[in-house]
Amino acid sequence: MESKHTESKNMEHNNSKISIKGLRKSFGHLEVLKGMDVEVSEGEVVCLIGPSGSGKSTFLRCLNALETITAGRVIVDGYDLTDKKININKARENIGMVFQHFNLFSNLNVIQNIMLAPVELKKLTKEEARARGMELLAMVGLAEKAQVYPSKLSGGQKQRVAIARALAMNPDIMLFDEPTSALDPEMVGEVLEVMKGLARDGMTMVVVTHEMGFAREVASRVIFMDEGVIVEEGTPQEVLLHPTQPRTIDFLNKVL
Amino acid sequence: MSFFGLIRENGVFLLGAMGKTLELTLLSLIFAAFIGLFFGLLNVSKNRICNTIANIYIDCIRGVPLIVLAFFVYFGIPMATGIRLDALTAGIISLSMNAGAYMAEIVRAGIQSIDKGQMEAARSLGLPYGKAMCKVVLPQAIRVMIPSIINQFIITLKDTSILSVIGFPELVKAGQIVIARNFETFKMWAIIAIMYLIVITTLSKTARALERKISYGK
Repeated sequence: MESKHTESKNMEHNNSKISIKGLRKSFGHLEVLKGMDVEVSEGEVVCLIGPSGSGKSTFLRCLNALETITAGRVIVDGYDLTDKKININKARENIGMVFQHFNLFSNLNVIQNIMLAPVELKKLTKEEARARGMELLAMVGLAEKAQVYPSKLSGGQKQRVAIARALAMNPDIMLFDEPTSALDPEMVGEVLEVMKGLARDGMTMVVVTHEMGFAREVASRVIFMDEGVIVEEGTPQEVLLHPTQPRTIDFLNKVL
Repeated sequence: MSFFGLIRENGVFLLGAMGKTLELTLLSLIFAAFIGLFFGLLNVSKNRICNTIANIYIDCIRGVPLIVLAFFVYFGIPMATGIRLDALTAGIISLSMNAGAYMAEIVRAGIQSIDKGQMEAARSLGLPYGKAMCKVVLPQAIRVMIPSIINQFIITLKDTSILSVIGFPELVKAGQIVIARNFETFKMWAIIAIMYLIVITTLSKTARALERKISYGK
């Protein structure tokens, strides 16, 4: 922890939590991200919108090195993810991720899902992790489901558990990859409520989403991307209500 | 001599041989499980060299008949090294190597059947690859692997009969010894076939039940 913070002071300018320069990502010959520059400050909620296939999810997955980075620099929470020598596991401890398809561990029940990482990585003792887990479950409104297996939960409940699981590591940054896209419409609200709460508490968040209402209400900044580049970015007001780029206007006309 | 007379006369001897057969099967499968887990994990790793090593092992072993492998281990190795192996040891080595190759494929298929989101979610929390594999992926994969492992158990049990060629006193060898004495070829082989049938059917039924129980607990 110590070395990380001294290191991070040198690498970060001011209070930038995420600093991305010239990020490129190719799958074979297909270039999905074609040079992206993004800065995210502490406490910011950045929403990424754009048509499917525009590279939003790939971009997000580069932020915790779930995808290898083809070119450019990605510094997240003081860790240079493009540096082969860094301990990627250490870096990921500070970056929570929530997936479209929840990815709850189906061999473990809800509380075990939440306790696994803090206990295995010796962040907390079993008792502490259980107490913390119950606290987080209460926060997402699922305290009574602690002993239940994921297969018995609804989609909205699964996603709320997934958020609690990510929070159990006390991350500095939360990444959300289309967290409500796999949900039935009536369950979208409960998940967004939890996310709004996090945003209010000052969590730095990067959210790939199709929920324009959420972006408008919660985002400090909206980035519209298409075909691997940032087309337009600004406040929700600017991007969602007064877009200037034809591609943004076209996209918003289709989804709103 | 009547069917039942033969059973009365040779029952204890044959049951002892069946015991040897089961002992050989069980020991071999335990070693095969470790071999299979080792090469299966090498096979699913992202490292090309590891994949190649696993594939060479699997291809070599699967490309050689068990009887040739058994001859090689029992007769060939002592000739080359001077180390004499008894039939049980040679039998366990050959059977474990053989079943290990198939187990490696079972392990690989089992791991690959688990949604890769499970591994990603575990890694995203900061868990190293090995921990994510042991705590999240393998427990789920083993559930998927159970039917194939049972199948391999039965195949290995039947394959022990091949080791009669190196003189290991398992059930087939025992049958040959009895027949050499009483020439009751038809009845004796029928008795031995039925013995295999009973054991294998019991095993597969128990295993099925176990499998069902495990999947209910999900």
